[in-house]
Amino acid sequence: MQITLKNFTKSFDGNVVIDRMNLEIRDGEMLALLGPSGCGKSTTLLAISGIHRVNGGQILFGDRDVSNLPSQKRNVGVVFQNYALYPHMNAYENIAFPLQVRGQSKTEIEKAVGQIAALTHIEPYMSRRPGQLSGGQQQRVALARALVRRPDVLLLDEPLANLDAKLRLEMRSEIRRIQQETGITAILVTHDQVEAMSMSDRIAIMDQGEIMQISTPDDMYRNPVNRFIAGFMGNPPIVMVDGRVEGTAFETTSGFRLPLPGRLGGLKHGRPISIGIRPEHFGSTGAHTVAGTISFVEPQGRESHFDVRVGEGVVLRSIQPSRRDVAVGQPVEWPIDIESTLVFDEQGKTL
Amino acid sequence: MRSRTSGLGLLLISPAMLLLAIFFFTPALLTGVFSFTNMSSSTGISGGAYVVTPNLLKALSARGMQPATIEALEEASYSVDADGLAAARAADVDPAFLDEIEARYAGRAYATDSDFLAALKDLPSRPRRIRDLKLAMEPFTKSVLNVRFATEELARTAIAERVAGISDDEMATLLSESYTGWVWTTENFGKLFAGHETWRIIANTIFYVATTLTLFNVTLGLFLAVTTFYLPKKLGAIFTVIWLLPRITPVVLYAIMWKWFTWDDGFVAVLAGELGLPSFNYMKGSVTSAWTIVIMVNGFIGASFGMILFSGALRSIPIQQLWASEVDGATRWQQVRYIILPQLRWPILFVTSYQTLSLLTSYQEIWLTTNGGPGSTTTVWALESFRTALFNYSGSLQYGLGAAMALLLVAVGLMLSIIYLRLFRFGELVTQPKIEF
Ligand SMILES: Nc1ncnc2c1ncn2[C@@H]1O[C@H](COP(=O)(O)OP(=O)(O)OP(=O)(O)O)[C@@H](O)[C@H]1O
Ligand SMILES: [Mg+2]
Repeated sequence: MQITLKNFTKSFDGNVVIDRMNLEIRDGEMLALLGPSGCGKSTTLLAISGIHRVNGGQILFGDRDVSNLPSQKRNVGVVFQNYALYPHMNAYENIAFPLQVRGQSKTEIEKAVGQIAALTHIEPYMSRRPGQLSGGQQQRVALARALVRRPDVLLLDEPLANLDAKLRLEMRSEIRRIQQETGITAILVTHDQVEAMSMSDRIAIMDQGEIMQISTPDDMYRNPVNRFIAGFMGNPPIVMVDGRVEGTAFETTSGFRLPLPGRLGGLKHGRPISIGIRPEHFGSTGAHTVAGTISFVEPQGRESHFDVRVGEGVVLRSIQPSRRDVAVGQPVEWPIDIESTLVFDEQGKTL
Repeated sequence: MRSRTSGLGLLLISPAMLLLAIFFFTPALLTGVFSFTNMSSSTGISGGAYVVTPNLLKALSARGMQPATIEALEEASYSVDADGLAAARAADVDPAFLDEIEARYAGRAYATDSDFLAALKDLPSRPRRIRDLKLAMEPFTKSVLNVRFATEELARTAIAERVAGISDDEMATLLSESYTGWVWTTENFGKLFAGHETWRIIANTIFYVATTLTLFNVTLGLFLAVTTFYLPKKLGAIFTVIWLLPRITPVVLYAIMWKWFTWDDGFVAVLAGELGLPSFNYMKGSVTSAWTIVIMVNGFIGASFGMILFSGALRSIPIQQLWASEVDGATRWQQVRYIILPQLRWPILFVTSYQTLSLLTSYQEIWLTTNGGPGSTTTVWALESFRTALFNYSGSLQYGLGAAMALLLVAVGLMLSIIYLRLFRFGELVTQPKIEF
């Protein structure tokens, strides 16, 4: 089921939170809605599920305008940010609730709940109340409840926020698997970029009620439209250096120089720009080399992170396969992949 | 560690225990004590004295006390002693005559009227008229009749003196029957269940409590809470205040308003007349209308209590749960039925038990409106015990009997509380404390 938001506008008591947002989620796609806290992710989700009414614009499911349909008629499954499990019902009853209110028979319900419980690995806890479940177990019960009646659309509001690292990894692929198996159209709200990149077909980045960029994870990583997104994607994050155009090169006030990528010819001399270098583009390959001293080493097992001081107030970061031949304080001269660096103008737009 | 934590627990509940002791245990205990006495406005509540009255003797004679004993007690006797002389002087008997009496008869005693009269007639300065002579005799009287003996011992001695060979049985009967103070007794309870009115009052009470509670305190309260919950905020607030009026109006004023409302030519009667219905005093005119009014008068007060409590509980349900239920496909009704009501179980239990007890014990609204009428058709247990013990037209207040009625009420209340707690599986509701010590 394709979902289309056309000029979707939402305000609370005259306070506009989302202003004419346009977004299209393709049929069977998992879209990650990524953005900082308070940017309107939950609001968008609640509007799609029918809990919030739109103040302007349209929401389409396929060709059907559902803008004024109550949530009961939209057939969406939602996992809420705080699960919203019913505290007086045990896990089984929670999951069975959507089927029960539809008046399905006991045997049908039992079968459906059994299947979904197996899928989400919660069979052992079926007779426990939410208060007797751990955060991760509650989360899975909430997921099961959202999935059990095979909704057209699955909306997940930070479904993995409360899980430990291992369970989070497990649930990530689990949710992705369930979504792909059922072919359900899903929106995943998160502010964890790793989660967004690993789980979704496309990512939409939101800030202050606006979609800044919507793209596949790879493309967004390589071609962020602005500095904000470039900084948001990637861990360890990109390193930004501020300076000016000096002919065909970039130079900081302290005199650190780098050639500009070949694609950027003819930038005005003296124009303030900043250059973004991802850690993987420094220290392995490239025609240009820079010299500096190692100021920090962080071994990560398979790989190591290095901070290299290359000039007055300029520290570049490098990520390389573990190596023991360098230590803090040691001078190094490492290559930099100039063509892969990102350049932003004064407003932060990518050049 | 263990003992410290339990010490803290005790400290924390001690104010509650103190209040409970002052406001519940003590009154309940006193009620219990009073209910095993025959205290009334004629016995008083402090101790009494021993008085043998002619009426008492008549009653005892009817109950088969030996005629000889009765006669002996009724008989007066005379003795010439210092007390008698002093009394006679105080009563203005001729001093010369008294001097003669003292000189001739000091220390003597006479068993009957006629003996003493004959003796006095021998004296030279006796009064001429037989009436004056009798008056002069009176201060020397030694009788137990109508004499107040402060202690049992004094009464026993005096009676034994009058009736020489009195049997122990008769002495015991006399002493207990002549006592004017209150005594311990279990008769109150027997008396209660012998009265034919009792069962009808019990039936009235059950009907009154059950109907008011289910129709108004719980159902209407819930209905109001749920409707105001779904109403826009402002409208809901106005609605709430309107339904609060019966509770915040002073009860006397509230009752008077109902009286006006249902008066012979009040609003209801006029309206009924306009509609072609029988027009009469709806508060007192018929049993059905009297009950309807009584239940409404109390119900409107109780409904607001339920409404407030349920509203608070409703608002504490996280809104996401309601959202979730809507997304899950639940209709408004299913949302109320499966999500809201089950989470109101505890407030419903509270309102039910609290209001059962308060309805069982409240009589003021009934007292001020129908006053239990017509006849005793709307008289409930609390009203009857109030009247028995504290407010009676004939002026004889039976504290003991009233207390016995109140005690039964307390017992019933406790029993009901226990049943309610079991019914609502109280244990599940309060399981573990939120904070572990
Ligand atoms: N019911 C409401 N009334 C008024 N303002 C609201 C309401 N709900 C949300 N907002 C405001 O709308 C903005 C967006 O909120 P929203 O819950 O969508 O943020 P979010 O992106 O989900 O953030 P988070 O990642 O912290 O969950 C916030 O500024 C919030 O204060
Ligand atoms: Mg949110």
